[in-house]
Amino acid sequence: MKRTPRLWTLFALPGTTWLVALFAIPFYAVACVAFGTIDPIFRDAVPQWNPLSWDFTQASQTLASLTSGPLRGVAIRTVVYVFCAMVISFTIGFPIAYFLARHSGKRKLLFLALIIVPFWVNYLMRMLAWVNLLSSDGLFTRFMRLFGVNYNWLDGSPITVVLGLVYGYVPFLILPLYATLERLDWRLIDAARDLGANSRQAFRLVTMPMSKAGLVAAGILIALPMFGDYYTNDLLSRSPSTEMLGNQIDFFLNGSSQPQNGALLVIVLSIFLLALMSFYLRSTRQQARQTTR
Amino acid sequence: MQRRDFLRKLAITTGGITVGGAVLSACGGGSSTTADGLSIGTPQNPIKLPVSTDPIADGLANESGTLEILNWADYMNPESIAAFETQFGVKISTSIYDTEEGAVAKLRNGTFKPDVILGMTDTGLAKLIAADILQPLNKSYIPNFGNVISGLRNPYYDLESQYTVPYFIYGNGIGYRTDVIDKSAFAQNGYEVLWDAKYNGRLAVLDSYRDTLAMAIFRNGGNDANSSDPDEIKKAGEALIEMREAVNPKVDILGYQEIPAGNRDIQFLWSGDMFTAVQYMPEGLDPGVLGFWYPETTVTKNDFMCVTKAAKSPVLAHQLINFLSDTDSALKNREYVGYQPALETITVDTLLASGTIPESLVDALVTPEKYASGLAQVTLEPAVDALWLEQWTAFTAG
Repeated sequence: MKRTPRLWTLFALPGTTWLVALFAIPFYAVACVAFGTIDPIFRDAVPQWNPLSWDFTQASQTLASLTSGPLRGVAIRTVVYVFCAMVISFTIGFPIAYFLARHSGKRKLLFLALIIVPFWVNYLMRMLAWVNLLSSDGLFTRFMRLFGVNYNWLDGSPITVVLGLVYGYVPFLILPLYATLERLDWRLIDAARDLGANSRQAFRLVTMPMSKAGLVAAGILIALPMFGDYYTNDLLSRSPSTEMLGNQIDFFLNGSSQPQNGALLVIVLSIFLLALMSFYLRSTRQQARQTTR
Repeated sequence: MQRRDFLRKLAITTGGITVGGAVLSACGGGSSTTADGLSIGTPQNPIKLPVSTDPIADGLANESGTLEILNWADYMNPESIAAFETQFGVKISTSIYDTEEGAVAKLRNGTFKPDVILGMTDTGLAKLIAADILQPLNKSYIPNFGNVISGLRNPYYDLESQYTVPYFIYGNGIGYRTDVIDKSAFAQNGYEVLWDAKYNGRLAVLDSYRDTLAMAIFRNGGNDANSSDPDEIKKAGEALIEMREAVNPKVDILGYQEIPAGNRDIQFLWSGDMFTAVQYMPEGLDPGVLGFWYPETTVTKNDFMCVTKAAKSPVLAHQLINFLSDTDSALKNREYVGYQPALETITVDTLLASGTIPESLVDALVTPEKYASGLAQVTLEPAVDALWLEQWTAFTAG
């Protein structure tokens, strides 16, 4: 029995190695670029591997731009877009997941397949397809005109970008949500109904709290990539008025002679997401403790 | 701007640069090397690049096997590639780059090991020389060098053309739909047309901070495409923000698709894009709806071909450069690429006679005169570059 702790440590080894090799080291490298220098001749990043010699001048300028300069608007816009996209995703995704878990009966697999199959197609291909559908003589635009909606979707419109994000990520919300809802003990609903709750009350007081963990997990799963997304914007808008943080990171890393700025924005975004995530994790843990009590 | 006014400003500016250059050479010992060690030629201060190896010997036999090319996407006609392969009995394999910076980085770390590089410009050249990636050319393999536009046979960025042979030329200007905008609008308002709220949602500018900010500088009355004046750069950024508020422009390089498709009416772009646009014209539509305004004050550029020091087939590499500088091959190549070969033998008349260029795009052709009067873009000092990037971020951050 003495060997058990060591054995468990051994079990954790693959995971730890994975985390160190594919997260900790790359993240450290990003920091070394952010606080490093630029090769004076080739204008590419020279990472500063020694944290003691990190240079924060460029970083502080970029941070100032984030808090009070031009990047502030981009940051706010990114949060607003992702928030809207998540609200819409939940509005669409929750009923679907609920239906799949509760009412799809024998056809459950068929419905699941119908939701997943389109997403076997590459993300870029799907977005390029939308570019065609939404162009001024595209099928979708013409279809909407039948209802009197004459809207130039590809006009650098925030609505298109938000809907693009929703379309791109909603299945990643539906699947984990479905997995959670499917495992719910529906007898508890019956019990609630027996105790006099109407269906709405049962949903609000039993189903919702029980599926909260799934909701949070699904929310995080789509929020993370949405915050860093830039190609949805690139393909559907390309207008400065819809610029998101991901686009600025892309520009700084690929198109400018200031890659440190891109690296710094990556760090800022990661810290922001980490904060969001730890908040959610804490709230779910609290909730778990309450329910087990 | 009045012509006389323009000339006066030109005189003032060039005078300024000469003084600046004199001061610089006084401090730096007479070379065109910038503070950071890059050898950058400018029209006022041309440069003869350092040579560390000899060119290949005369009269060597062509290698067999494969010739490796590094090129932009769709920047060489597949039929021209096939023709070269047949003529020399070799295979061509092509790698693609999408930014000069990225290509230089990958050449330095050995990801790319091409024999020939196509489409680099002078901003990339300085870095290639600093990294010692190129080998000097032996012109005895390139008799067609004589076809090159005379003004480019001894270019400021590479005096005596030791390393480079020009490939395509182009100028920055405004592509538009002639069925929406009349030519006269530009004669009256010039660059100002891009600020016209009429084109809200139908307008775009190039996703290239150097090109688009320089355009804003010209619009503001300046004519320095490499300005280091913080005030002038800031005003250019403010002008772009003003444009953003007025017309909500897109920022991309897709004018060659979007203008023929009818998704936008006007875009600040590279002249060559409009010739590419002809191929994107929807079936049955007259390419005469494509127009181009070539501004009096604008940037004119060329890119070039060069051979790497590590080339496994250096003779074939020279042969390809010679092949692409042949008048007929270059015309064939142009049919697909759209851009205009940097050859004196391919005149505006030749191109019009080829029937591949609509009358409405005659203005997009770069004549030797236009080339001579065009402004050059050179690599900026890091501190100046930061000023440009700051304004660009302010614009694109919306």
